[in-house]
Amino acid sequence: MNPEYSWLLAAIPAAMFFVIAFAGRYLPRGGDYLGVAATGASFVLFFALLPDFLDVFDAEAHVLAVAGSIEWSTIGDFELRMGVFVDPVTVVMFAVVTTVALMVNIFSIGYMKGEPRYYWFFAVLQLFVASMLMLVMADNLLLLYISWELVGVCSFLLIGFYWEKRSATEAAKKAFITTRVGDVGLLIGILVFWKETNTFNIQEIIHMAEGGQISETYLFVGSICMFLGAMGKSAQVPFHVWLPDAMEGPTPVSALIHAATMVVAGVYLTARMLPVFAVADHMLLIITIVGLTTALLTSAIAFAQTDIKKVLAYSTVGKLGLMFVALGSGSVTAAMFLLMTHAFVKALLFLGSGSVILGTHHNQEMDKLGGIWKKMPITGTTFFVATLALAGLPPLAMFWSEDELFAAAKDEWGLWALALAMLAVFATGIFMVRLFIRTFTGQPRDPHVYEHTRETPAVMTGPLVFLCVLSVLSGLVVFHGVGTALGFPGGISEFVFQHEPHRYEIDWALAIPSVLVALAGVAIGAFVYWGNDLRRSTALANAQPRAYDLIRNKFYFDEAYQYVIDRGVLGFSYLTSWFDRYVVNDTGVNGSAEVTGYAGSVLKLFQTGRLPNYAMAIAVGVIGLALAGLWLRG
Amino acid sequence: MTFDEAQGYVVLATLIAPLAAMLILFFVPGEQKTAVRYISLFFATLMLGASVYIFVAYQFEGPAFSVEGHGIQMEFKRAWVENTAFLGPGGITLRLGVDGISALLVLLTGVVAFAGTLVSWKLDYRTKDFFLLFWMLVAGVYGTFFSLDLFFWFFFYELAVVPLYLLIGVWGSTRKEYGAMKLTLMLVGGSALVWIGIFAVFNEAGLGTFDMPTLWAAGANGTLSPEFQKTFFPFMVIGCGVLAALWPLHTWSPDGHMSAPTAVSMVHAGVLMKLGAFGIIRLGIQLMPDGADYWMPALMVLGTVGAVYGAVAALTQRDFKLISGYSSVSHMGYVLMGLATMNSIGITGAVLQMFSHGVMTALVFLLIGALYDQAHTRDLKDFGGIGKVMPMWVVFYSIAGLANVGLPALSGFTAEFHIFVGTFKTYPLFGGLAIFAAALAAAYMLRMFAIVFFGPFNPRWSSLKDMTPHEYMAGALLIGSMVVMGVWWAPFTDRVAATVTLLPGMTS
Repeated sequence: MNPEYSWLLAAIPAAMFFVIAFAGRYLPRGGDYLGVAATGASFVLFFALLPDFLDVFDAEAHVLAVAGSIEWSTIGDFELRMGVFVDPVTVVMFAVVTTVALMVNIFSIGYMKGEPRYYWFFAVLQLFVASMLMLVMADNLLLLYISWELVGVCSFLLIGFYWEKRSATEAAKKAFITTRVGDVGLLIGILVFWKETNTFNIQEIIHMAEGGQISETYLFVGSICMFLGAMGKSAQVPFHVWLPDAMEGPTPVSALIHAATMVVAGVYLTARMLPVFAVADHMLLIITIVGLTTALLTSAIAFAQTDIKKVLAYSTVGKLGLMFVALGSGSVTAAMFLLMTHAFVKALLFLGSGSVILGTHHNQEMDKLGGIWKKMPITGTTFFVATLALAGLPPLAMFWSEDELFAAAKDEWGLWALALAMLAVFATGIFMVRLFIRTFTGQPRDPHVYEHTRETPAVMTGPLVFLCVLSVLSGLVVFHGVGTALGFPGGISEFVFQHEPHRYEIDWALAIPSVLVALAGVAIGAFVYWGNDLRRSTALANAQPRAYDLIRNKFYFDEAYQYVIDRGVLGFSYLTSWFDRYVVNDTGVNGSAEVTGYAGSVLKLFQTGRLPNYAMAIAVGVIGLALAGLWLRG
Repeated sequence: MTFDEAQGYVVLATLIAPLAAMLILFFVPGEQKTAVRYISLFFATLMLGASVYIFVAYQFEGPAFSVEGHGIQMEFKRAWVENTAFLGPGGITLRLGVDGISALLVLLTGVVAFAGTLVSWKLDYRTKDFFLLFWMLVAGVYGTFFSLDLFFWFFFYELAVVPLYLLIGVWGSTRKEYGAMKLTLMLVGGSALVWIGIFAVFNEAGLGTFDMPTLWAAGANGTLSPEFQKTFFPFMVIGCGVLAALWPLHTWSPDGHMSAPTAVSMVHAGVLMKLGAFGIIRLGIQLMPDGADYWMPALMVLGTVGAVYGAVAALTQRDFKLISGYSSVSHMGYVLMGLATMNSIGITGAVLQMFSHGVMTALVFLLIGALYDQAHTRDLKDFGGIGKVMPMWVVFYSIAGLANVGLPALSGFTAEFHIFVGTFKTYPLFGGLAIFAAALAAAYMLRMFAIVFFGPFNPRWSSLKDMTPHEYMAGALLIGSMVVMGVWWAPFTDRVAATVTLLPGMTS
């Protein structure tokens, strides 16, 4: 299939959204099979499209992308075009989105069984998949922004899926408004670039930025504003607060939207615009620092969480931070590679936690779990593999991508960035092992929960196994031989790159420390929590009560924001309402009415109705006019 | 009769339809409520059909589109009074026609009036009188959009304002006398300014005619001197601005909406407020280009203040209608900003926003009415978890709310996007503020969603019924309009932009 037709990938799920939304409730099983069919069709179409794209793709001749667009509207010389742009970055995103979406759709059949509004869940899922695919293939910033907002609203609808729960509604609201604040930046950034270049087309903007046709100030302002949007969507500090709360949504949604796809939209956008950001002053350093801050801060918070999904959420935020570090180091390769492997691993972890939640009858608190590996062998084993993969152990997927990241960070920024990035990976090892041990091993903490725990049906474990295979193997695409065997021009660094392709070679000086760091993380985690025994960790928490309190309370970000909103924003709103009511309306509007009324009540005294008064007035008038006339005549 | 003349009769028929409905309703006994409703529905359908026809048949390119003729098509012209007293040839003419801007607003009127008729189906108190006044209002609105003669323009403009007083005073709720009185006085006050402006223009031009295109030419060629235009432009803009909720003359809007009955709120917020913005185009930009050039930065400031102020004030309101009232102030602020950009992108955006805000607000007031009729309270804090008993109502309201927030694929985004682009072109800082206000819109809308629609169900409301079939149909029509403009906006921008690019003083 010609890559120009890649819009079909989005069109099919979009059409299915309408079908399921309108007809789903009348269909048997809410039309869930239609959802699977639609995402399945996108998945298959992707594989139909890939060989054709690879035929066209030629790194040496610099044929790197396929594009096509149509005119959408015209006002004078203001022309808007909509179109698709498929390059290796898009291809990676297609692979991630269609694969994870298909797995999540299948998994949801089991997970959502018997839930109210079952059909609605599948409908919105299709809308999300369509918007997300549109986002990654948009050739212009307007279409990108449209899709960006649509995935946001799908996220809102799905986080708030259990809207009878106050907490779910609040979480949905928080997610939408927080990202919306970032989106203000994004839209301003888009318009700043439009003002400078007169186009929304991403490639033209890149071309002009690289050619130095955008003034430095605007380049910086536009870049930083757009990056704010990316930070909001990808939950980077200080916008990270919405993502852990978003775990109120059904778990398949957390896997698809809040781990594998939507939250990486910010990474995608930054990767897409990286040539522009790279020529703006200090932009790369800012991106790196934001990424590192996020990775370290959220890793610290993850230590003290007891909700399985919240631990995973903070780890997602941290890994997104590392992707930004890769981008800040100028390596699109490392960022996209990390994005892909992380998507598979984290989707597996979330679906695994979904399996745990369903298998233990809606339990997601570690304090009530433990020892369920025996009862849920498939879930437990796949979760185990994913834990090690996320910790960065070789030869699992994320080791290879983090290796690329370390190399890029070291080359661009030197040892300090490398050390901090490694510290984040090290921390991941600890809290992931903690999560695994406390959930699956040792003595059950709540015998009642343990007793009723059962392995989930094949419709749920199937996707787990599939993603587990990807979590093990997908990192190998870094090798030239594996890439060529799959039909690619070579390893991932010879396919996805910013300037020049390069062939991957293992740098032992970097690989050995990185293996050691990952191993150390896993080992320390295992040592502290072995056998689901909390004595060592409690001792640790008691040794540093203030530090523990700080991370337990997530560095008080939420409290600080709440204070600003209550006292600042709402206070200002009350003030405005008061001003509107009492100054503008009661004084200005009613006041002028009252003045008129008062003037009338005074003037009416002149209308006495008595003849002598009027005669007197006439006389005075006549004499007055006569005198005036005489005086005027001279 | 040529084809073009025939189309002129379509325009005339569209204007006569509401008047004919009034005439027929006069002879229907007031007790025959069903007959009254069906007669009204019949005429509403006619008007909707004619409005759609006018919009679709408007030629935005090709030989039918005349640049010299200001893009005006489907003209109907009959001399009314001429060559007497102070009037010269062509003094007062019943001259009707549409350009790309009014074609879209005519479509809006047709849609909203039809929806309003459906929604008033269950209105049971003095049904006949209600519809008589309602059609008078609609006739005024159509007349204003069609008129190309200052005299008739003002005549219909007033015809639209006057029935509001009775409609709110008799069928309204919540401090209705105060709301009706304030609204009428403020609007009539604005009209007085416009009336002064019209006579000043008539006098200054000295052509003895109220014909708009003739006077537009006088404004462009210097017959109306730049000093004159600078002096009298504020009369027109402030006068019309009152109706468009120009800050700080907006306070009639929250109170008026709070008091008005559902269908009146719909037509009022949906269409009538647009008359004000339309007046700024017709009597301001087209009639006094030099004045516009001089004063537009001031309008930009007031528009931005309105946009931000309305959004901030809406954040903490507790009455549904006050939220919508302030949100209207905010959205009309965008319209004024778009007009003040004086470039074709911004003004096209402003006209799109008139349509978008029209259908969106009409839907919002329809839904508020559907709830209030049953619950008899509009305090947000009284509700909770309404989605359980009124699922479709919540879906409709959510769509309206998301359009309000500027969600892509709904009309609000298309319009606001063009306004932002236009504003960024000339006033980047104000553009940034406007985008910020759009984020506040998300906050006040979602706050309301969270309090009313979702969360634990308040059992006090277990007897609430979902929307009636009539409301359902009306809502679906309005949502359909929002989606079409949100997704495929070329048919709208083509028509509007064709005319907007012809406006005097326009930068591209």
